Formats: sequence, C-alpha cells, structure tokens
Amino acid sequence: MRAHSIPTRRLLASTVPVALLLGLGTSPAHADPLIGSHFNSYGLPGGIDTPSAEVLPDATLGATLSYSDLARRNTMVFQALPRLTVALRYSRVESTREARGYIWDRSFDLRYQFLDEDPQGWRPAVAVGLQDFMGTGIYSAEYLVATKTLTPRLRVSAGLGWGRLASTGGIGSLGDRPAPDEGEGGKPNIDQWFRGEMAPFVSASWQATDKLTLTAEYSGDDYACETGDAENCRRPIWLDDKDALKNQLNLGFTYQLGEHYQLGGYALGGKQFGVQFSVAMNARQAPYPSGLEKAPAPVRPRPARQADPDGWSGAWSADPTAQPAIQKALGDALAKEGQVLESMALDANRAEVRIRNNRYIQQAEAIGRTARLMSRALPPSVETLVITSSEDGLPTSSVVLRRSDVERLENTEAGQIANAAQLRDADPRPGNLVMTPGLFPRFSWGLKPYLSTSLFDPDDPLRYEIGAELSGEYELTPGLVLAGSVRQRVLGTTRQEAPGGMTPEEYEALDSDYDENGVPRVRSDGRMYSGNKSPWVSSLTLAWYAKPTETVYSRLTVGLLERAYGGVSGEVLWWPANSPLAIGAEINRVRKRDFRDTFAFRDYETTTGHVSAYYEFGNGITAQLDVGKYLAGDKGATLTLSREFANGWRIGGWVTKTDMSTEDFGEGSFDKGVSISIPLGWGTGDPSLRRIGGDIRSLSRDGGSRLRVGGRLYDKVRDSHSGQLYQGWGRFWR
Amino acid sequence: MTRTKRILLGGLLLGALAACGNQSNNDSVFGKLAQAARQSVAQRNAEPAPAPDPSAMAAEALRVNPGPLILVGLESAGSTQVMAMTGENAGRRTYMTKNEQALILRNGMLAGTRGLGNDLSVAEMSGSAALVLAGRSGEARRVMRYWTGDGLERPLPLDCRVGPGPKAGVMVERCQGFGLTFENSYLVQGGRATVSRQWIGPALGYVTIQELRP
Repeated sequence: MRAHSIPTRRLLASTVPVALLLGLGTSPAHADPLIGSHFNSYGLPGGIDTPSAEVLPDATLGATLSYSDLARRNTMVFQALPRLTVALRYSRVESTREARGYIWDRSFDLRYQFLDEDPQGWRPAVAVGLQDFMGTGIYSAEYLVATKTLTPRLRVSAGLGWGRLASTGGIGSLGDRPAPDEGEGGKPNIDQWFRGEMAPFVSASWQATDKLTLTAEYSGDDYACETGDAENCRRPIWLDDKDALKNQLNLGFTYQLGEHYQLGGYALGGKQFGVQFSVAMNARQAPYPSGLEKAPAPVRPRPARQADPDGWSGAWSADPTAQPAIQKALGDALAKEGQVLESMALDANRAEVRIRNNRYIQQAEAIGRTARLMSRALPPSVETLVITSSEDGLPTSSVVLRRSDVERLENTEAGQIANAAQLRDADPRPGNLVMTPGLFPRFSWGLKPYLSTSLFDPDDPLRYEIGAELSGEYELTPGLVLAGSVRQRVLGTTRQEAPGGMTPEEYEALDSDYDENGVPRVRSDGRMYSGNKSPWVSSLTLAWYAKPTETVYSRLTVGLLERAYGGVSGEVLWWPANSPLAIGAEINRVRKRDFRDTFAFRDYETTTGHVSAYYEFGNGITAQLDVGKYLAGDKGATLTLSREFANGWRIGGWVTKTDMSTEDFGEGSFDKGVSISIPLGWGTGDPSLRRIGGDIRSLSRDGGSRLRVGGRLYDKVRDSHSGQLYQGWGRFWR
Repeated sequence: MTRTKRILLGGLLLGALAACGNQSNNDSVFGKLAQAARQSVAQRNAEPAPAPDPSAMAAEALRVNPGPLILVGLESAGSTQVMAMTGENAGRRTYMTKNEQALILRNGMLAGTRGLGNDLSVAEMSGSAALVLAGRSGEARRVMRYWTGDGLERPLPLDCRVGPGPKAGVMVERCQGFGLTFENSYLVQGGRATVSRQWIGPALGYVTIQELRP
C-alpha cells in the first residue's frame, strides 16, 4: 500500500488572484492574455466579420446567434485554456445540391493568443487562428492578427487573412489554395491552411458608454458565393443571389444587457444588415460560490485524559454494545448530511468508515464532514480516522487522518489538512468491517418527468419529447445492482423515422440490419426507436461491481444495456488511488434490440470492446485513448480530451477514427463531438450530484460508434481518486 | 380532445409528478430549477418583513437556551438573528442559527462563516487580534480565504492598521488590498470583542455581532 505525500502546492495554489474571482475589478499587474469584451458574427471576440487577438476570460462558455440575409450562424465558444479559444458552429449554408436548398453545416474554430499585450509599451497582443478548419469549409479562413489598446476605450486590431478573409483585396499569395473538399468532409483540410491569396483586415472598437460599443472594420470577405459572384465563389453549389455588397466596410454596435447578455446589430458593405445575440457565462463565477448547504457540525475536541480515563484507555472496545451504538449514531448523523454509512470497522485506536456520498460534488467536502462527525461520535482513544469512499459499493480510496490533526487544523486553510492526510487504495476486504444493519437489500425508485431533445436536424432544428420515467434500483448487496427504467411519452415532436428516405414500415419490411454498402446499421436507424407511444423499457440490467485487488476494479453487466442493444458487458480497470494513469479493458457481446418490442431482438449481433488508457495531466485536464473494435465491426481509436474544474464543470471533445472507409462512413468522414456537463448545484447553490448537459455529436453514424452502457468504471471511481479529490480539496472544511 | 387541451393536461400531469420516489438523489432537474425559480420570485416579491424586535428576540432566546448566545445582524440582508453556540475548539466558537447557518468567532472576532452562499472559509487575523484585544495600535497582516465559484479556496491578503476608535473602549481595524477597503470596529471587554461590526467579504458586506451571554 503506498501513501504519497500530497502535492498540495500544485493542487491548491492558483495563479488567478482571488480579487478577479470576487469581481473586485482590479487590473492585474502581471502579464495576462488580452480579454475581449464583445463577440463578432462568428461568435468569437473580434470586430464584425473579422477576428481580433483577444480571448475570453478563462473557462468562459458562450453562445452567439448571428443572423443576416447572407448568413445564419449559431456558435458555441469555450475558452479551453487561458490562451486557447475553441468554437463549434452550426451555420445555414445554401446548397443547390439539396432539395431544400440549404444545409446546416458544422464548423470548428481554434484561436491561440501567443503574445501578450504590453500595456505600457507598444507591443500588441498577437494571435493565430483557424476558422472552419475541418469539413466542407465554406467559412474556412486562417489569420494572424494583432490587437492593441490605444486608449481605455479604443482598441484596434489588424491582421492578415487567408481563405474566406482574403476573398477580395489580396496583396499576394503563399502558393495555391486547393479547391474545397468535395468529398464527405469532416477532415482537417491541412493542405489549405495559410495557402493562396492573403488580404489585410482592420477593425476598431470604441466603447462609447459602459454598455455600448461601436465597431468599424475593413474586411476581405465580400460574400462572393452568397451574392452570386460565380467567378469568385469557391464551390458552385454554395451560390446564392443576394444583393452584392457595395464596399468592404462593415459597421456595428453591441449593447451589453446585464452581466451575461449582448445584443448587437451590424451593416455589411453598406447593403446588408444583421442582428446578433450572445450569452456568456463563466464556469468560475457561481451565484453562490460556497454553496447554500447547511453548516457542518463543528469538530468536538476530546476531553482531557483525566476527565474521561475510560474513554482514553480504550477499555470501552471490549464492550460488544459499543460499536453498534456508535455506528447507529454516526450513521444517523451522516444520513442528515446526505451520506450513507455503509460499514464500519472500529477498534480501540482506529476507526474506518465506508461512506457513500449522495450529495456533494466535491468528494473532499463529504470526507471533511465525515471527519468532523467522527470527532463527535468516537471515544477519545480512537486516534486514526480512515474514511473510505464507496462508489455504489466499490471501495475506492481511503483518506487516513490523525484525529489530533482534525482537531488542530479545523479553521485553517484546507492545504494544511491536505498535507497531514494520506490517500491510499482502499482495502477490498478488511477483516473487521461491520455492515450497517438494515441497509441491504436496498430498494429505491423514482418517478420523474424527462425531456429529450434532438437538435440541428436540417428539416426540424429542434425536436423534443416529454414524458414520465419510472426508474428503480434494487441493490442486493453492495455492488450487486438490479436496475431498470421505463419511459412513457406524453407529448413531443419526435417520431419514428427510418434511414435512407424510407418510411418506418418500408424499413421494417426490408428486415435488414445493413445499408446498401453492406455496413451494419448500428446507429443510423436510431430514430426507428423514437416516437414510441407505449411504455418502453429503456434499460434493465443486473450489474456486479467488484474490486478484486487493491488497485483493480471490475464490472459485469447483463441485460438490456441501452436503448438499442442488449447483452453482456464486462470491464476491468487498473487504477491506483494516487496514480494519474489508469488502464482499462472492456468487452461486450451485444444484440440489437427490436424497435418496438421491449424484450425482442433483431438479427444483428456483434462483439465489441476496447482497451483504454486514461491520464490526468493536472489542473483537471484528462486524456483518454480507447483502441478497439466498434459496434459495426470497424477497428480504430477514440481520443477524448476534457477539462474538469474543481466546481464540477466538465467540458470535453472527442474524435474517433476507424478503418471504415470515408465512403462507407458517409458525411463527416469520422465521428467527433463535444460534451458538456454542468453541476446543477453550481447554478442553484443547493448541494446535489445532479448534472445537466450532454453530448453534441456531429453526426449519428454507424462508424466509430460505441456501446452506451451505464456504470463505466472510470467515471465511477474518478471522483475519489487523487486528481479529482485533491482538485476539490479546498472544500474539505466547508 | 383538442391539441391544446392535451398539452395542457400533459403539462399538469408532469407537474403533478414532479419527482417522487425514495431515491437519495431524487431531486429532478425540473424540480430543482422550479424550486430555484420559485425562490427567486419569492425573494423578489417578498415584502420587507416587519423587522422583529431584536430585544424581544434576545430575551426569548436567553430564556429558552442556556448556552452562549450572540445577536447577529447581516447588513446586506437587513436581517437580525440570534445564534447559539454549538461547539468550541481551541478558542474558536461555532454559533448557529436554527436553520444551521454558522458564524465562527475567536474572542468575538470573525474567523469564518458557513452556509451563507458566499462564505468566508477562514480569516487568519492573529496579528490584528493581538492588537485589538490588547487595545494597542499597530499594523498587521490579515488573510481572508473564500470559496470561489470555481470550487477552490482562495486567499485575499490585506494590510491592516489597528487603532483606537472615536469612542472610548472601541478599537478600529482598517484594512486594504486589491482595491478594496473596509473597517472593522470592536468594543473590547474582558479580553474579547463583545460588540462589533465586522466585514465578511465583498458579497456579504458587514455583520454586527453582539454578545448576549458569554
């Protein structure tokens, strides 16, 4: 068993001064990225159509809707790192190839500010950016841009653009820019970056009042395709016939509404007009930063030795009634804190409790509260406190504290108790552990409304379904769980749909699980499961979680694993509590479920599985690499990068590349997407493990698709392993 | 049934079943959001409640509760409450309201808060405390630590100057740093601050604390 010293400095120290987070509005003296205050029509800081070198405050999540006669762009932007801005955009693009005349096109942007502004000197902030750098690329452009604050109210940006930003007014070129990708798209078009004509752009923004900003720019984008300039349009299918711009000057304004919203309008080339609306919120700014949960019971220091000689001697431990009484009292106190005391081992000078945290996003807060309650419940001779986190019956990590440290360090900064604590792998089977009576078998159920949405469908951008979900869970012993849920639709606009333009009846009659290229339809007929007006069992599983050794976890799940598949799923994960590296393997044998009949199956059956490596880089940044065979039998790998903040915000993105050919995969070429998860308690202040969010995946295709089985071990175990635990350690004394 | 009616009925049904069951994390997202909305509406509509008479409150509390008590007024909320001591560890006393919000005091000087939404995790002010409680003038460094929205505990270091106040027996501590200034006043009796007005933090502002029973 290893017990690392705690890298408190790395985990608790931060470069962001508290003043910024408390909104005190002082300007930091040291070098910082140049922060932009308003969004351009691409949803990033900038002028109107042109970019600037500015970034957003770290961890800002924003969205911009920008609509004109020439373009409709919906952009989501995230400041992933202090200097790195990423954006995902859905834009309506004219397409003569489609019967409906347009498509909703996804595009991705990156911007990196590599040089800071020198506020005293002449040096501007400088950034490099890629706009719409993957896929069909109607907005594809690259730029190098500098921004300088001339007066506190006036900022000027100037840069050089390629691609769309150099549609007109070119001053030279770097080689030839190849024609846009005419294939299935979805790949980074590296061969085009910074190639072809380049053109200058300039913008100036003047903060007229505290709320109103006026912007003027010279842009190299003349909207050739949108205005029917066939000669200069890079792809004929994008041609449209809107009025041509008169010149390259754009003018705009932005009005700040409250803290989070911006309303703006702009005129393009003296001819076209647009409006836009933006919202931005920062993961670091919560309405109730410390949460509204009740105060914890304070530490009760032990009485002097002479005041309680029996308690100090440990003689009480010989009394067989002592532990049940203590366990009952501690269990009741923990229950009020939203925690379950699963089991307890007690002897004269050491106590171990196994707790299941059902309330606090930061596991450290649950542990800190448990430590204080232990100081109140245990006889004085108990000096070693071991608090083991149990994740649905899986003992993950143990925090070992000296009771005298808990007494001494209450009301000091959390870093001190972090240094005094040890984190260990939980012993899978300690000898003297006593289960709390009456906990198992445990039955829980819930009846709740559900809302499921499906966005960005070209024909119907927002589909939804509202209904009721009945879910139940029967835990026979810790780690052996029978769980299921039934959904009944009440109303909604989602309906059953078949792939390839067929009606559901035609598709059913076809009775094939393969498309015309012979690719198994593992996800592309997913809408055949939608619009069910009868009760529908979305999952029904028996799962067994276990911990065979101190550092290895296992899972075996059988049943209706997800909406579209049933079968068997097995997983193992090696992850020492103090290790940034975890390695896992999963194998599943599944069969495709019937579209309507809950307990029937279709013919498609497959074995799918992955070997996975997980690595925590610190500061909440995690990488995950899965290599294996996907549902459709294609082999490949998925890379996921995510950033999780101490407050529980989690934002990530993934790409999957398999050996399925681009033609077989279809539009998009390979699977990719982003996921967002925001703790509900961050917004409401009430402590809760509930989260809102979901995946935004570019397309639901058959290639690179994984089984969506619940209870994967990494997600189960991570909150109480060193990376996450220490990141949230600051709330130990909350 | 017309479409509108059906939707209405659906809405009602869903509202009626807004989460029931015995699951430990049974709070549905809808339920939570609805609750938050109700609270914020209630706050907005709330008539300024008739201020309860602090002296009547204090008398009642003294009669009911035999332990140490303080009377606390949070200026930003305009509220006054009696808080009772629930624990003491190395001279730091935790006082709580009935709904379990807490102040932590050391010799009457604020050392932390819990459950107020913008809590002060810990105030490191031994330098100031030594001067204030001894009735001496001088300079001291103070570090206030807060839980910030990003889930961390972060320090706010401040420079303070302690000196006698306008009234006899009152000590004043003026602190500044990061562009903010505040002023704490303490009436010191028997080695502790018995009546005081102290700054919690940028969001919560000042709190007045009066010792009812030591």
